[in-house]
Amino acid sequence: MNRKVNKKIIKAAKDTVFYLFLTTLIAGMLLPVYFIVSLSFLSTREAYRYPLPLIPALKTDFELTYGENGYMLSVWDRTDKEYQTVLDTNEVEKMEVYIKSRLGTKITQEEIQAEIARLENSDQESIFFTKPRSLLYNYDTFFKVTRDAVPALIRSIEIAALTILISLSIGGLAGYAFARYIFKGKDALRFSVLFVRMFPGVAIALPMVFILARANLYDEPLGLSLIYSVGAIGLTIWITASIFMGIPESLEEAARVFGASKFKAFMRITLPLALPGLAASAMYTFLGAWNETVAAIILTQFKPTFSVVVYQTLLGAQGQINLAAAGGIAMALPALIFTFFLRRYINQMWGGVTV
Amino acid sequence: MVATRSRSLRKMWGQATPYLLILPVVIYYAIFWVRPVIAVIIGSFTDASGVFTLQNFVMVFSDENFWPALNNTAIIVLFSVTIEFIGALFLALLINRKFFGSSIFLFLTLIPMALPAVATGAMWITGLTAHGWINSLLYYLGVLAEGEKIYWLGGMEPNPTKLLALVIIIDAWQVIPSMMIIILAGLQNLPKAAKEAGYVFGGNFMTVLRKITMPMLRPTIQTAVILRLISAIQIWLIIVLLLGFGRIPVLVERIVYYHEEVPGLNISYQMAAGYTIVVSTIVSLTALVYLRVSGAFKKEETA
Repeated sequence: MNRKVNKKIIKAAKDTVFYLFLTTLIAGMLLPVYFIVSLSFLSTREAYRYPLPLIPALKTDFELTYGENGYMLSVWDRTDKEYQTVLDTNEVEKMEVYIKSRLGTKITQEEIQAEIARLENSDQESIFFTKPRSLLYNYDTFFKVTRDAVPALIRSIEIAALTILISLSIGGLAGYAFARYIFKGKDALRFSVLFVRMFPGVAIALPMVFILARANLYDEPLGLSLIYSVGAIGLTIWITASIFMGIPESLEEAARVFGASKFKAFMRITLPLALPGLAASAMYTFLGAWNETVAAIILTQFKPTFSVVVYQTLLGAQGQINLAAAGGIAMALPALIFTFFLRRYINQMWGGVTV
Repeated sequence: MVATRSRSLRKMWGQATPYLLILPVVIYYAIFWVRPVIAVIIGSFTDASGVFTLQNFVMVFSDENFWPALNNTAIIVLFSVTIEFIGALFLALLINRKFFGSSIFLFLTLIPMALPAVATGAMWITGLTAHGWINSLLYYLGVLAEGEKIYWLGGMEPNPTKLLALVIIIDAWQVIPSMMIIILAGLQNLPKAAKEAGYVFGGNFMTVLRKITMPMLRPTIQTAVILRLISAIQIWLIIVLLLGFGRIPVLVERIVYYHEEVPGLNISYQMAAGYTIVVSTIVSLTALVYLRVSGAFKKEETA
């Protein structure tokens, strides 16, 4: 009896240590991600403080006093733990703009006037008030200020969809051939994935400028998706081959015994079974096309992709690093959602084919 | 007569099927891969006026940045592939234990893979500056005193070893997940019976891993390592995002440098083409040597 209890305790202790270990591991791995997310919520003023606040503020504390030019506005600085003067003016509009853009805090001119009136009516030197932060301010601004963000977002989705279409149709056929037939050149096909990767992608993108320009596809979404498909097709062949290998051929044969043609057997039996795996392969392609930046920089001019817009914000973001962070996170979101679904299909996608 | 004819036709058709299925891939690669590759190869062997020359390669090899670039690339590949492989194998073995919550744990470990390069770039740039979050965190943890800062990316004396180490760590952080999923898939497809037999005969975790799991996992490991090896040699983007051009020269960074940064020079296209050919030769040779040494070709012959 006693021994049983002991065993339980030991198991519980082991579990605790194990999960503690896992938590530490994940915390360590995702620490950088936490900081970029946190940064995307910080106000512009706080994003440049050192040491950087560890968590985004939910509210801003103000102090209003009389100044030389009218009213002096101070904000609570979380780093130095004191109120710091940021403005000395009697223009309400100026205060509103500053509070909104530099502090990412919701306020209206009426509210400011009300606070000023409160100061005037009291016999105190200064009054204090608190306003809630607009946490999504950086995201909002990123899409409003960055001229191209929304059309670029649509373009990126279009490019990813086209890449999936091209690579899944072309690569899927080859993947099926790989899984079901024995033919000369099968090994060459297997190694082609490696082959196309041995030549630097950037180096391909450069001559492609001329090739695409001649086909009137330079600076067009279709042109980029054609380039992305070069890499994507190879992986799609591997992944789809792996998926088709996982579906027993005997099912198709059974359908043919009952009179179905080979094509019909494929359409009615194999394809429906392969569909989840193929969707996973499509998501994988999406990740690649969505995240790609370098070829997009080279092959676009007036029609950048979303990744290019984020890249330019990052480069030109002197003083607006929190905006670049918001752009990066906005870009990462769809990729993260797809990865969430993708994790169930790892086995199907990579289980079949090896070098 | 007609029946046998149609049967032989059908047989021919049947034999042709796989080739018809792979035909689109062949055509696609011919247009969108072989053509630009040939363009670069021709560019690397001709001068600005289109006359055959080997001068481009002479220029590449005598470029003052070539040997440092080769050296840096070699160091990065050696360390990052090793670290990434060990990390990926460790994570895959961990997740394969299928504990409560392993599916969520898997998703969390995949996050670095899903993040776009620009987001990762932003993340590390904001972290590694003197006023960045890494120093802030160290300050809050009490490691750094007030006013004390670590200059990760620069400082008084640029230290290539430190910068290389940073690049390797950052690269590993981002790449381990994509290597891990290949190994994990391989692990999940191993027959359970073999491992169980190993335990039945008295093996502990390490012996089973060494004597049973690893040998059976070999094809998977080859796949994961070769894919990684090929792209590790071509590392450049994170380096340029962090440090700009020229501070830690690597091979592919040189290609981009000559193309994007100094396109005005009349030798820049030739330099870029020359570097491209050198890089792809190195990648192909490394891949070939790896596949040979690891025995991937042997398996084919016996199969």
